[in-house]
Amino acid sequence: MGFASLPAGCSGGRAGEPEAETLSASAAADYALFALRCSKCHSLSRPLNSGIDRDDYWRLYVAKMRRQPGSGITEEDTVAILRFLHLYSIEQRRKKEQRLGVEPSQAPPQEPPPQSPPPQLDASPPTGTP
Amino acid sequence: MMRTHTLLLVVLASAIAALFAHRPASADEERNFAGSAQLDYHLVASEPAAVAAPGPATTFEGFTVEAAVKAAVDVSEHLSANVKVCYGCHGFELDMAYFDFRVADEFNIRTGRFSPSFGAFNLRHDPANHMTSDHPLPYDMGRMLRKGDWNNGVLPSPFPTNGVELNGTHWIGDIAQLDYAAYAVMGFKNDTDTNPTDLNFQESHLPYYLTSDPRPASGARLALTLKTGPVSDMTLGASGLFGTYDPENKLTYAIIGGDFSLRIQRTALRIEYLVRRQQFNTNNPDIFRYAIAPADEDFFAKHGAYVELEHPVAEALAVIGRVDGMYRVGNVSNVPVGSTTGTPVQSPLTFRSSVIRETLGLALALERNFRLKGSVELWQFSYADAVGRETELSFHLGAVGSF
Repeated sequence: MGFASLPAGCSGGRAGEPEAETLSASAAADYALFALRCSKCHSLSRPLNSGIDRDDYWRLYVAKMRRQPGSGITEEDTVAILRFLHLYSIEQRRKKEQRLGVEPSQAPPQEPPPQSPPPQLDASPPTGTP
Repeated sequence: MMRTHTLLLVVLASAIAALFAHRPASADEERNFAGSAQLDYHLVASEPAAVAAPGPATTFEGFTVEAAVKAAVDVSEHLSANVKVCYGCHGFELDMAYFDFRVADEFNIRTGRFSPSFGAFNLRHDPANHMTSDHPLPYDMGRMLRKGDWNNGVLPSPFPTNGVELNGTHWIGDIAQLDYAAYAVMGFKNDTDTNPTDLNFQESHLPYYLTSDPRPASGARLALTLKTGPVSDMTLGASGLFGTYDPENKLTYAIIGGDFSLRIQRTALRIEYLVRRQQFNTNNPDIFRYAIAPADEDFFAKHGAYVELEHPVAEALAVIGRVDGMYRVGNVSNVPVGSTTGTPVQSPLTFRSSVIRETLGLALALERNFRLKGSVELWQFSYADAVGRETELSFHLGAVGSF
């Protein structure tokens, strides 16, 4: 079980946060930071349900959020947040391909966020996932 | 006329949404949709006579729905556009329609229709972003008991208006974030009343492009956020807004506020105070409850404050405790704002009136983007209502979804 059970809560609430054993320690830490920072102003459904699954767009999005008044998102935070969103996007694309019943994409994997090699989920990545 | 405006707004919103949804994005253009909807039932445990007291609508009981859809387009790294359409008590409204031109993180130019930077609550006024169905009293509108007596809160939120804002953020190392903004906007108005005695909030929202009070209001905000630890931060902010609201640009309002918030993990403590000094027209002394003194008696001050603690007690459950209130000092008009008849109705307010509310609420997240909200509120007024009641009890039960 990877991100399938990741309907992480809302600001203040914690509904369906990922069970610790489903994520590697580093991925869990990245998720925790993402949830902590982003839930300060809005529910986590905003980014997680946004449909964004490209690293370059996430970079723009997180930079924009960092500029929000009182965001408290440092440069260092953005690295961990982008690392989590990179993994999340991979899972989103995989699920989308499954829903559409198409062969997993053979496109070359997107370049991960700079200075942030994506951590691996403990569970084996699905076949064909970049 | 109102129906025409609503129709135009729906058409405009649909056109914009369709444009955003179907226009192919250029390589460096990104689009994003977000939205929320809240259904709330407000039960007032008072005698029906108190709910249906004479005079302006004093208390609303029943279902309310508010919904919002927002589209954001990042045209480039420096230019973005936002459009937000809301449906609520006033029907359809254009809550946002602005461009941000960001020269640098420290210098952004915002033009169009938006809620100018003021206070802390305004940043999370969307029902998906706060844990109770209603707003803290200083920022409240229709869900406030005896709202007609008080003419709503100090600064009902949101307060979209047209204008330009210069804002920015500057990080000092990785430990402090300084946010600042200054703006000139259309502001609030009251063009309806013959002798205006307060802001007309509903009129200030519509129409967007007609006003007999062309002089802009101006304001500013400064806030400092300190990272006090890896999982904690605190923010201290100050805001001010000044303008005139009558057709002759003679009657002023000035609102100042201060806010403090501390967040440790997902536990948040928020404290906010604001006060509005409101000048009124004294041309007709007969409409006032008290005799008008020769000097310095042409204004009232409305103070408002809240202290709120939000704490997650379980995986999906958060508890919210809040104490908020308002305190009004000054003469009282017996003609309600926006009264169509202009006929005086004895206001129950006195020279010094107050209300204190204590709220205990729960928010249960059933899904990532769907939450139930419930709260009980104890109200203590400094004056009795039509049936002699100074204390009232009310309940909210709501559901909010977001995407």
